[in-house]
Amino acid sequence: MPQGKLYDSPQAALADVQDGSTILVAGFAGHGVAERLLVALLEGGSKDLTLVYRDGPYASLGSGPLPAIENLVSNGQVAKIISPIPFSPGSGGAIEESWQAGWLDIEIVPQGVLVERLRAGGAGIGGVFLPTAVGTRFGADKEKRSFLQGEAVLELPLKADYSLIKVAAADTLGNAIYDGSGRNWAPVMAMAARITVAEAGLIVEPGELDPEAIISPGIFVNRLVASD
Amino acid sequence: MVDEKERLPREVVAMRVAKELPDGGFVNLGIGIPTLVSNFIPDGSVVFYHSESGVLNCGPLAEEDEQDIDLINAGGQFLQMVPGMAFFSTVDGFAMIRGGHVDVTVLGAHQVSATGDLANWMLPERGVGNIGGAMDLAAGAKQVIVAMEHTDRQNNAKIVQDCTYPITGKGCVSLIVTDLAVMQPTPEGLVLKEVAPGWTVEEVQELTAANLIAASDLKEYEL
Amino acid sequence: MPPRLDELTMARRAASELEPGQVVALGSGLPVSVAAVLPPDAAVQLLSDAGALGYGASSDGHSSTGPALASPDGRPVALQRGGAVVGMVDWAAMLRGGHVDVALVQPARVYASGDLLGWTTAATPGLFAPGRTVDLSAGGRKVIAMLPHTGSDGSPNIVADSSPVADGRGCVNVIITDIAVIRVESGALVLSEVAPGWSYDEVAAVTGAPLAQASNLKEIAPNLEALNAERAGKVFSDGPSAIADLHDGATVMIDGFGGPGGMAHYLLVSLRDQGTRGLTIISNTIGIARSVNFGTPPGKLAIDHSILVDNGQVAKAIATYPVSPSMSNPSSFELAYRRGDVELELVPQGTLAERLRAGGAGIYAFYTPTGAGTLIAEGKESRVIDGKEYILEQALTADFCLIRGHKADTMGNVVYKGTSRNFNAVMAPSARITIVEVDEVVEPGELDPELIVTPGMYVDRLVVRPEGFSPYE
Repeated sequence: MPQGKLYDSPQAALADVQDGSTILVAGFAGHGVAERLLVALLEGGSKDLTLVYRDGPYASLGSGPLPAIENLVSNGQVAKIISPIPFSPGSGGAIEESWQAGWLDIEIVPQGVLVERLRAGGAGIGGVFLPTAVGTRFGADKEKRSFLQGEAVLELPLKADYSLIKVAAADTLGNAIYDGSGRNWAPVMAMAARITVAEAGLIVEPGELDPEAIISPGIFVNRLVASD
Repeated sequence: MVDEKERLPREVVAMRVAKELPDGGFVNLGIGIPTLVSNFIPDGSVVFYHSESGVLNCGPLAEEDEQDIDLINAGGQFLQMVPGMAFFSTVDGFAMIRGGHVDVTVLGAHQVSATGDLANWMLPERGVGNIGGAMDLAAGAKQVIVAMEHTDRQNNAKIVQDCTYPITGKGCVSLIVTDLAVMQPTPEGLVLKEVAPGWTVEEVQELTAANLIAASDLKEYEL
Repeated sequence: MPPRLDELTMARRAASELEPGQVVALGSGLPVSVAAVLPPDAAVQLLSDAGALGYGASSDGHSSTGPALASPDGRPVALQRGGAVVGMVDWAAMLRGGHVDVALVQPARVYASGDLLGWTTAATPGLFAPGRTVDLSAGGRKVIAMLPHTGSDGSPNIVADSSPVADGRGCVNVIITDIAVIRVESGALVLSEVAPGWSYDEVAAVTGAPLAQASNLKEIAPNLEALNAERAGKVFSDGPSAIADLHDGATVMIDGFGGPGGMAHYLLVSLRDQGTRGLTIISNTIGIARSVNFGTPPGKLAIDHSILVDNGQVAKAIATYPVSPSMSNPSSFELAYRRGDVELELVPQGTLAERLRAGGAGIYAFYTPTGAGTLIAEGKESRVIDGKEYILEQALTADFCLIRGHKADTMGNVVYKGTSRNFNAVMAPSARITIVEVDEVVEPGELDPELIVTPGMYVDRLVVRPEGFSPYE
């Protein structure tokens, strides 16, 4: 195969990120965050990014002075955020300030809707009718329809250029497993991006992972870097 | 007589298709000639096979004494367990297909139209047919290649201007490889790119019910 | 004024609403404390959007050998025996699909209509970080709102009418505050319990909506004893008893990709012997292994759906591959179809999988490109989205689901084997009653929680394939 999925460094794995890219960032309250990839994204300096994540404020880098997403925002790299919890109102730091100043666009989506939009994007579905946002402010401007089960609103798929995920272990074909809460958004984000980059705690040869245990098959994982 | 001229064997058709598969790509092979394609992957190149039975990175078929009913491909054949396999449910398997994660599918056909419509799930005289995964593959795979005999056993054309059989997908076929020729459906019509050794454009046209447009770089079947 | 209840007492009162065997999802704020007050052996499973199904209060005192898991508020927790690790897609599907019995949320305001409003601050007008709140409100079969009865300025948090803006509509069933328990009954509020020392009048005075008084108004007294009850058992002694209530005219999902691998043969035979008629069968094939040895070792004749067709039990099939691939070896179903004895709804394979997933995951309908421009599109809405043509397909559910697993624990967690996972894992969440035939039932905790494919919340009954039972005739 051409060069395989292994990359020497997070920087190399993200070298082709263009300005204006949409990037999915997996993680839940600090679990399953691809910290080295986020640092590389910051160093790469690409601009006008759209970031999609659950809870950026918690995606903090162990050693860094500022949370990862906030770093990218204060570095002027982010044009838009799509998230169920873009920041903690009142203590949102650079994200909140940039949004208040009007130069950061924020789209707020309930997390179960966001995850289904990502799955639709990854699974080639053109749209899904979900009951979740019916009657709420999150369904107000959307197409509504009645079904046997009740009212639902049309939610459209969300696809991305890259997804940055953290996996417990992967084989060189990209088959990946997770550890506990580290799984969270990673499997669906891996499906929804054109290029999924996984930061792996362990990289092993094919055959070393139980084929029954694989959560993200290699077809969804395009690039691998070691997490240390 | 064109009818009696020698055509290429199935293995050569499969070999020609194998050349089209991207190195490192994910491929889903249908039943018949498509299944043979895996025997002809060029040296130094790797292809990963997806099966809608729920397994990725399929390897060779199992020996008779190692057959396991829990390890089959979409054609119901038994697979060997090979390193790097991953198992998944049908819903994930088709997310891979529809979501554009499968690079190429190679399918057989009853008919293909000049504009790339594919008909391969029902013969009208039977009145009932099996769709299986064909419609999802036709709609979802990034590239659909048809590998088949140029005509049916009665020498009726399978490549037609418009499909008369119920179609599987509209305008989905990007390349047709037969035992006589390699053709590319385009919005302008069917472009003839390669012909089998010993065959002329006119002879291939005689067995084709769609108007063939000879490519400017038309060549002999290239392996 | 008499004292108000503290957070833990409110949590204990909220926990008293739970029943053994329930799946419970907790939101942020006050609901988080419910995990802390549950008895260690409580027969409820807590669901965290951090991917833990069946976790305990905290990881303190538990061994650290399990997976690293978090509660919804990000604190470390440990799985209980029989718990499973799930992803975010699963979490959302469990809620939307109606598989979560109780959701607990802390809204800023609750309306007499049962609407709720999540919190927002003056600093961020119009911006609400819904996180999980909207999903919990829409998805929980029963929604309990926990909140202080009044705001810091003394104004009521429970108000009349409805809100022009809402984060949940008509969803709240019970309101638990620091002074009262109020039930929302057809758009009206009924005070059923008061904190010690509080009277109806005192509670009504700080409530911003008309408040009826229950005839048996009581003092709040949390009682968690009922939660230690045994869960109802899922393991049935044999096939016939597991399907005893499968009735004439039922819609039944039966899986198997096509071959004997992953097919619930013992349940199939039980169903044949039971003789129930007029069945609608949802399945990939409707019996081809017998005709063409699909996935069948040489020299064997596999039991498949054909035994139901031959016995005159099938009225209709919804399938992707209904007939034999060989015209000269027609299957029982094809012969019955030609006789006009059975109906057929033909569905592409990926569409069948997606319709089943939609049924189990609370998706009412979806647009798929599969089948656009073909016979399958007839009678369906067609729509161009982003320049590509799609057709609208509807969710599919069933009364019963008979599937084949490899192993299960007594809580119903199931693992499969190889390519026999196929439609089994997709069907399990989509039926009212899911019955799984397995090779072996083990105790909770014996299956690796990272490997569980079908969590027990989707499985109602288990039956072990008898030793010596042959899937072949």
